[in-house]
Amino acid sequence: MNISTSDVVLLAHAGFGVMGCLAALWVLVEALNARPGNAARIRTAALATAVCMAGAWICGGYWYVHFYPPEKALILKGPWPFAHNVFMETKEHLFFVTGILALLLPIAAREKLDSNAAARKLVLSVAALIVITGLAVEGAGAVINHGAKIALAAQDAKGAR
Amino acid sequence: MTSATDTPRLAAATSGFALAAAITVLFNTALAWAKDAYAPLNDFMKSIAGHHWTTHGLADLFLFAALGLFFTKSKSVETISASRLTGILIAAVVTASLGLVLWFAFV
Repeated sequence: MNISTSDVVLLAHAGFGVMGCLAALWVLVEALNARPGNAARIRTAALATAVCMAGAWICGGYWYVHFYPPEKALILKGPWPFAHNVFMETKEHLFFVTGILALLLPIAAREKLDSNAAARKLVLSVAALIVITGLAVEGAGAVINHGAKIALAAQDAKGAR
Repeated sequence: MTSATDTPRLAAATSGFALAAAITVLFNTALAWAKDAYAPLNDFMKSIAGHHWTTHGLADLFLFAALGLFFTKSKSVETISASRLTGILIAAVVTASLGLVLWFAFV
């Protein structure tokens, strides 16, 4: 088994991202049923969202800066150059939107959501936006991964000829 | 008995950082467009933190924190209603996200 640093960092990035989306979904469900009894859970889940997205930001950033350039070159030469030109370019900037919203969530979750309808609406909106943009970023990651995979397959096929 | 409309206002920090987030996500998209269209800006950002993406992220974080603290302390956002603020944030995120997708797909 050969697991490189690049693999670990990349999978940690995706793992933190998924956990961040799940934590935001947890906030969404709890906030829909906000009452004094689940206020602490909402705040914990909101904090977990921010921590997971910060982890995804750091791991993704490290991988993108240190390990992505050769993969980018490979994708651009392969059959799916749009995996970089459209999906990676969008993902690397859309992620900042998710990250900023994830940092906002614990601040908004400090409100008394069981008695403040306006605050609950804000928290529900922020959590939903994190889930939607987070899943879009995860999906873009899958397209980028496939772009690299088929570029390698095309390279192998060319070498075999 | 309390109802859901008893305390419709948001705390100063919530309002301040929500508006800061709305401005930051729009700034994020504008900066992405600018550095993609103007290579010297991309190079300049690379020279600051070693990679344009790192500088971009740090700029977003700095703007979010600075605006959030400013709006919280100045209490200038308290004149905006909570529901309007939520609407502004949703509109900003949708606009910023579509702005990124359409730019990189078609420009």
